[in-house]
Amino acid sequence: MARKYWKGLEELKETTEFIKHKENEFPTQQTVEAFLSNDKLDETSTGRRDFLKFLGFSVAAATLAACEAPVTKAVPYVVKPENVTPGMATWYASTYYDGASYASILVKTREGRPIFIKGNKDFGLTQGAVNPQIIASILGLYDSARLIGPTENGKLVSWSSVDSSISKALKSAKTVSLLSNSIISPTLQKQIDEMSAAMAANGQILNHIQYDAISYSAIRQANEQNFGAAIIPSYDFSKAKTIISLGADFLGTWLMANQYVQQYGLTRNPDSKWMSKHFQFESFMSLSGSNADYRGMIKPSEQAAVLSFLIKGLGGNCAVASTLNTPTKSIADQALKSLKSSKQSSLVVCGSNNVSLQLLTNQLNQLLGSYGTTIDLTNDVKLFKSEDAKVIKLANDVISGKGPDAMLFMGVNPVYSLPNGEAFGKALKKIKTTVSFSGFADETASLCSYVCPDHHALESWLDYQPTNNHYAIAQPTIRPIHNTASVIETFSVWSGKSIRLGKDSSTAYDLIKSNYSERFPLGDFAYSTHNSCETVPGNLNVLTPFKNGVLGKLPSAGALEVVLYQKGAIGNGQHASNPWLQEMPDPITKATWDNYITMNPVEMKQQGFVTTYDQEHGLNLATVSVNGKKVTLPVFPLPGQALNTVGIALGYGRGANGEAIGKAAFQTKEYGGHDLDEKGGLKPIGANVYHFVSTENGNLQFDTTGSLAKAEGMYAIASTQIHHTVMGRHSIVRETTLPIFTSKGKEAYNPAHTLQKLNKEGHHEDVPNSEFDLWDAHPVEKIGHRWGMTIDLSSCIGCGSCLIACQSENNVPVVGKDEVRRGREMHWLRIDRYFASDEEATIGQRKDKDTFSYDKAEIAAENPKVIHMPMMCQHCNHAPCETVCPVLATTHSNEGLNQMTYNRCIGTRYCANNCPYKVRRFNWFEYPSYKKFTEVNPAQDDLGRMVLNPDVTVRTRGVMEKCSFCVQRIQSTKLVAKKESRMINDGEFATACSDACPTNAIVVGDWNDFKSSVYSSSKNDRSYQALEEVGAKPNVWYKVKVRNEDNELLSSLQKEKPVAHHEGKKAHH
Amino acid sequence: MKISNIQRVKRTKIRLIAIFSFFVFLFPTSLLADGGGLFKAKCATCHQPHKNGTGPKLFEARKRWEAAGEGDLIVEWVKNNAKLRASGKSARAKEVFEQYKGSVMTAFTDLKDEEVISILDWVDAQPDPAAAAAVGTGNVTDGASETTEEEEGGNMWMWIILSTIFITIILSVGGVRRQLKISAGESSTQDDQSYLSEFKTWAWKYRLPFGLGVLVLVLSIIVTLFQGLYRINVVENYQPSQPIVFPHDRHAGVNGIDCKYCHNSVTKSKSAGIPTVNVCMNCHKQISGEGKPFAGEIKKIYAAAGWDPSVPGRYTGKTKPIVWNKVHALPDHVYFNHSQHVVVGGIDCKQCHGDMTKMNEAVKVQPVAELNKIEGNIKLTKPTLTMGWCIECHGAKNVSLGDGKNGYYDEIHRRLRDNDKSLYKKYLKDGKVSVSELGGWECAKCHY
Repeated sequence: MARKYWKGLEELKETTEFIKHKENEFPTQQTVEAFLSNDKLDETSTGRRDFLKFLGFSVAAATLAACEAPVTKAVPYVVKPENVTPGMATWYASTYYDGASYASILVKTREGRPIFIKGNKDFGLTQGAVNPQIIASILGLYDSARLIGPTENGKLVSWSSVDSSISKALKSAKTVSLLSNSIISPTLQKQIDEMSAAMAANGQILNHIQYDAISYSAIRQANEQNFGAAIIPSYDFSKAKTIISLGADFLGTWLMANQYVQQYGLTRNPDSKWMSKHFQFESFMSLSGSNADYRGMIKPSEQAAVLSFLIKGLGGNCAVASTLNTPTKSIADQALKSLKSSKQSSLVVCGSNNVSLQLLTNQLNQLLGSYGTTIDLTNDVKLFKSEDAKVIKLANDVISGKGPDAMLFMGVNPVYSLPNGEAFGKALKKIKTTVSFSGFADETASLCSYVCPDHHALESWLDYQPTNNHYAIAQPTIRPIHNTASVIETFSVWSGKSIRLGKDSSTAYDLIKSNYSERFPLGDFAYSTHNSCETVPGNLNVLTPFKNGVLGKLPSAGALEVVLYQKGAIGNGQHASNPWLQEMPDPITKATWDNYITMNPVEMKQQGFVTTYDQEHGLNLATVSVNGKKVTLPVFPLPGQALNTVGIALGYGRGANGEAIGKAAFQTKEYGGHDLDEKGGLKPIGANVYHFVSTENGNLQFDTTGSLAKAEGMYAIASTQIHHTVMGRHSIVRETTLPIFTSKGKEAYNPAHTLQKLNKEGHHEDVPNSEFDLWDAHPVEKIGHRWGMTIDLSSCIGCGSCLIACQSENNVPVVGKDEVRRGREMHWLRIDRYFASDEEATIGQRKDKDTFSYDKAEIAAENPKVIHMPMMCQHCNHAPCETVCPVLATTHSNEGLNQMTYNRCIGTRYCANNCPYKVRRFNWFEYPSYKKFTEVNPAQDDLGRMVLNPDVTVRTRGVMEKCSFCVQRIQSTKLVAKKESRMINDGEFATACSDACPTNAIVVGDWNDFKSSVYSSSKNDRSYQALEEVGAKPNVWYKVKVRNEDNELLSSLQKEKPVAHHEGKKAHH
Repeated sequence: MKISNIQRVKRTKIRLIAIFSFFVFLFPTSLLADGGGLFKAKCATCHQPHKNGTGPKLFEARKRWEAAGEGDLIVEWVKNNAKLRASGKSARAKEVFEQYKGSVMTAFTDLKDEEVISILDWVDAQPDPAAAAAVGTGNVTDGASETTEEEEGGNMWMWIILSTIFITIILSVGGVRRQLKISAGESSTQDDQSYLSEFKTWAWKYRLPFGLGVLVLVLSIIVTLFQGLYRINVVENYQPSQPIVFPHDRHAGVNGIDCKYCHNSVTKSKSAGIPTVNVCMNCHKQISGEGKPFAGEIKKIYAAAGWDPSVPGRYTGKTKPIVWNKVHALPDHVYFNHSQHVVVGGIDCKQCHGDMTKMNEAVKVQPVAELNKIEGNIKLTKPTLTMGWCIECHGAKNVSLGDGKNGYYDEIHRRLRDNDKSLYKKYLKDGKVSVSELGGWECAKCHY
C-alpha cells in the first residue's frame, strides 16, 4: 500500500473546504488595495507624505529619547520593618478558606506585597496540597473592582456612618437573618453568638443560617440517621486500597478535596507495596473519573442501582433494584471483587446530595468495615454546614414578602447562586435593612442597602477549626489595601463590645488571641501562628452504633439527565473575575473562558451536532430546559459523558446585570473593550445554571432531568487542545497495568528506543538511540549541576495547580479568549490530556500494527481512558531550538538549562518551529499595555501589577518565551548554598510547578547529585523521555502511567522480549 | 579601619598633630589608634566623647567611676554591664543604669581588658570640641550638587565649530581664486564651468589620493557612528543631584564607618539598600552639626524621621521619606545580586563603586578608568555598568575552587576534577578557573 502523508484529517479526507483553501494557502481576502481604501483610513487626514514625515520624526525622536536614561527614584523606608529586607522574600504560614476550599498555605511576600501562594508541606491539614483557585486567589487580592470602603446605597461612606445607621436599624428590627457560608472560625462564631444573645436580651431574634452554594447537607442527614449525629466524617483515602466513587469528584471539588488529593497521591505509587484501585461511576467525565482505573458511565439515576448491586454482592440487604447494563455490570463485578479482597481498607463515596443515596453509601461502607479505618467519625469536618431547607424557606419567605426586618449576607451570594435567585434579588428591596460583607459589589451586595466589605483572606487575622481535632490560624500578609474591616470587628462593634478602629485595627487579632489562650492555656500563640495550626485534643464522642436509615425518594430517571458540576478552576463561581482561572484550560475539556453543555460525541453525531472545533469552526448551540427554565449554550463533545446525559458547569454567568465584580468576568471584543449586548449591558462569560438546581427533601440537588433542543447558530470555543488522541504513538505517553508492571521487566512496558545500524559483519543491529548523534555532548553530565525533572504520569491527576503556580511565579500574561482560540495562549506549562481510541489497547499502544487506522485512531473511544501529561520546555541537551536561532538568543547552559534571552531575541520564531514538544510561546502583543488585553491582563492596572514577581522579567512584544525551569529559583537556591558554604541539599530547589503539585508527581533537583531523588527517579524502570527517537536528550523524564487494572489485550502486546521487526513480518507470512 | 586612619591623618592633620604633640610621650601610638578605632566600631553609635546622648559622654568617665570609688569596675561594666549590675557589688553601675533607664547598654564580652582601657585612654585624650571649634571643618563643600557635564561633548562642539570655520575658509579662498581667475580672463573659453565640474576635474586629476581620502573619511564616519551607538545608555559619570548633600568622605573616610553599616542588606539581599532613616538617626540623634555649615542637611534627616531636636529623644511621628535619585540603575531585564558578589565573591565595595572614602561630591557612576586605579582591581576596558564590563570581569576573575574555603565550590571542584579531567585541565590552562568557565558568561545567570 502506497504511503500517504497528510497534515490533518481534512487533508486525508479531502473535504470540500480543505480543497477550497488548499489553492489559497496565503489568504488574501483583504488585498492591499482594499486595506488602503478602508473607510477608516480615509477618515484620518494623514497623507502618505505626512505619514512618512511623522515616521521619520518619531524614529529620530525615539532614538534621541533612548539616549537619555530616565531618572529613577529610590525611596527607602523611614523605619525599616524588622522582617522586611528589600530584595528578599518573606514567607508567612497561613490558612486559606473561602467557604468551599480549605488549605494550609505559605504566602511569599516581597517588600510587603504577597506574590505567591503554595501549600504548607510541613504543617496543617492539607499537607501541602492546594488547588488552582487557592493559588490564583492572590490575584483576587489585587482586583481593581474590590470595594474600597463601606457603601450605603452604592455610595462610599465612612465606617462610623454605616456603623451608626446599621446599629440603629438592627436595634429596631424584630427579626434579623444572617445568611452566611459555613462558619468554621470559632472567634467569628463567638461574635455571632454574642450578638445573637445581645439581641435576644432585647427581645429580638437573630436567625443565623449557613448556606453553601454547593451543598453537602445530605451527607450530614444520612449520618444523623445512621449514627445519631449530623456530621461529615474525615475520610482517609491514603488507607483505601479500593476506592469507589459515585459521581464524587474528590480530586477536584468534592468536600475537602485538597486533603483527599494528597492522600490519594500516596496510594498511586506503583513502586510502593500496594497501589489503590479506583473505580468511578459517573455521568460527566470528572477529574477523578479521568484518573480512575475503571470508569463506568452511568446516569445519575443509576447510582442507586450500582450501590444496591455492591451491597447485595457483599451480602447486605437492599430493597433497591440492582439491574445494571452490561458494561456497567462488568465494572461493578470488578469493583465487587476488589472490595471483597480489601475489606477494612476500602472507601465508598458518593457525590449526590440525595439522602437516600448517602444512606446506601453509608450502608456499603458499614458492610466494608470502613468506619474506624478509612472513615473517621470522631474527627468530623466542620465545613459544609449548609442548612438547605432553612435557606429555601428563607428565600421563599423573602420572595413572598414575609421576610425578616433585616438581612445580613456573609460570604454568600444568594442572588446568584439560589435556584430562585433572581426572584430573591427582586424581593430584597422589600426588606428594610440589607447588609452584605462582600468585598465586591456582587449580585447580592449591589442590591443591599449597605455593604461593609470584609478584608481579603490575605489581609485578615482569622482562626479556623476545619475538623474536630485541628485548629488553624490565618495571619495577614499585607496591610489592608482598602478601607475594609474584619467581620469579626464589625460584629464586635455592632454588639457594642468594641469601637471601630479602622483598617489597622487589632480588634480581630486580640479576640482571636484571647480565644486561643482560653482554648490552649499552655499554648504559645506566636508559635502556633508560625506553624499556622495546632492540634485540638479530644474526640467527638456523641455517636451511636450504626443504625439503618429509612430510604426516601431516589433520584428519578429522565430521558435526558442533566449533571451540574463544578470546574476545578471556577468552582462555585466566586472567583469568576479571576483571569488566571478563566484562562486555565479545564482539565478534561481543555476549554477556557466558557461553560458549555457536555455531551458524548457518539450521541452528538446521532443528533446532528458537529463534533470538531478549531479556531474557525465553532460548535452548535443548544437549549437545555429544566423545569421550564432554559439556557442556551454550545454543545461540547466530551468522550466519556454517559449517554442520555449532559453536563453543565456551575459558576459561570456571573455579573449578568453588569455588577462590578471585576473586569475579567465579562466577554471582550476582538480589539479590546467589553462586548456589549443590545441594551448596552456587559455580557457575562458563560451562563448561570444555578436555577436548574432542584430540591429533594429540602436538599439542593445538582443532578436533575430536562430536555435539549438544537438552537440556531454556532459558537466559537477557545480550547487549548483540539486533537484528543496520541494516535498510538507510545513515544509520547506510555501506559501499562499494575499486573504487567509487577510481573514483567522494563522491556515489556518501557522499551528503550532503538535504531538499526550495520555492524561490522554487515548485519543489521538494534542499537540505542544515543549512538546516533549529530552534535557533541554538552558538558553537563556529572559536572557542576544538571537540573532535571521527573513527572510521574501515575500520580499526576491533571488538576492544573502547576499551571497556575507557573503563571503566578513567572508573570505569564493572560491573553483572553480570542487569542486562546487562535492558539496563542502563553502558558509556559500545559497539561496535555489524551483520550484512548478504539484502535489502541491503551493510550499510545496500538491494538494491531497492521490494521491500525489513523482515521479511526483520531476518534476518542466512547468511554476512553485518560492520561494527563504536563508538558513544558524539556531543556534538551541537544536542543533543536538552539541550533536554529540566528542571534543566539536561546543557548544551553552548563547546568543543562535551555536559556532564553529575551533581549537578544528578534522574534524569527524558528525555534518554536523546530521544537518537537511545541512548548515555546511567542509574544504577539504588548500584553501589559495593548488595549486588547486591558480587560483580561491584570498587569494593565496599577493594582493588578502588584502581583508580578519582581525577579522575573515581564516580556515585551516580539520575543519568544518558555519554561525556564524557574531559573530565578535555581539561582537563589544556589546563592543561599554558596553563602552557607555547602552544596545544595536535595529537595531544597523546587520549581513553581513542583511546589504546587498536590500529589508530588513532579520531582526536580540536581541530577548530578547522585543521592538526589530526581536522579534515582530518572533511573527508575518506568522513566522514559518523551519523543526519545528525536534524540533531543531532554532533562525531563516522564514515568510510565500504571493503571491498576487487568487488561488482557495489553498484557499480550507488552511482551518482555519484543519480536524483532523483520522476524515479526516473517511470522505473518 | 586602616584606611579610615590614613584618611583621618590626611584630613584632620591639624587636630591630630595637636593630639600627638600632647600625648605622644605618654602612650604608644599603636594603642592610641586602637582605642580610637574600637571607639568608633563599638561605642560611637551610642556614646560621644563630650556630649551625653543615648549613653553618657565618655570623656573622663573613668574619672567619674574613680570618684565613686569603683575605678577598677568600669572595665567590667563595659564588658558586661548586666552581670555587674546583677552582682550588686557596684553602686555606680546601678546609678548609671537608673540614669539611662530607657536604653540598656549592649554587652561587649569580646573586648579584652586592655582594649577597654585603650578606648577610655583614647576618649580622655580627645580635646573638647567646644574649645577647638575652629579646627578641622574646612572640608565640607557644596561641590556635591555640581553636576559634571561630559567634557567630551564640549570637545565635540569645538571640533564642529573649528571644522565649519575651516571649510568656510577653504571655500571662500576657492571662491576668491575662481573670481580672480574669471576676472583675469583665464577661463573665458569655459565660462559655464561650475564648481562641480571643476571639482570633478580636480578629483580626477588627483584620483588616488582623493579616493584614499574619501575611503578614510567614510571609514572614520562609520567608526565614529558605531562608537557613538555604543555609547548610548552608557552611564559612566552619571551623577544625579540628591535631596541631601551627603558627604561619603566624611562618613566612610573621616569617621571610618563601614559601608555595610549603612548599606546593611548588601550581604543578605540583591540590593545593597539605601540606608533607612532610622539608621541615620543612630548617630545623628547625637550629631546635629549645630553651628556647622552642614547643619541644614542634617535637619533634613530630622524632618524625614520626624525627630524634634529641641526636645531630645522625641519623635513627632510625622515622617517624610527621603526620595533619592538612583545612581546605579540597571535595566529591568538584568538581575544583579549584591550579596553574591560581596559575600560569595568577596569583592570589596570600592572595586565597583570607587573609593567612597574620598568622595566629597554626590555619588556618581565611577568611570572604569577611575576603577582601574583601585588597588587590586582587574584592569577593565569597557565602560562601567555596561554588559561588556560585567563580562570582562567574569572572564578574568578567578573562583577559588577546592581550597576548603567554601563547601559549595569544593563540591563543584570535586565533580569537575573527578569526572572530566580534560575539561578541568583546559580550564586551568591560564592557571585559574574563571567565573566564566563555571558559567558566569551564560545568559540565564543574569537575564531571566
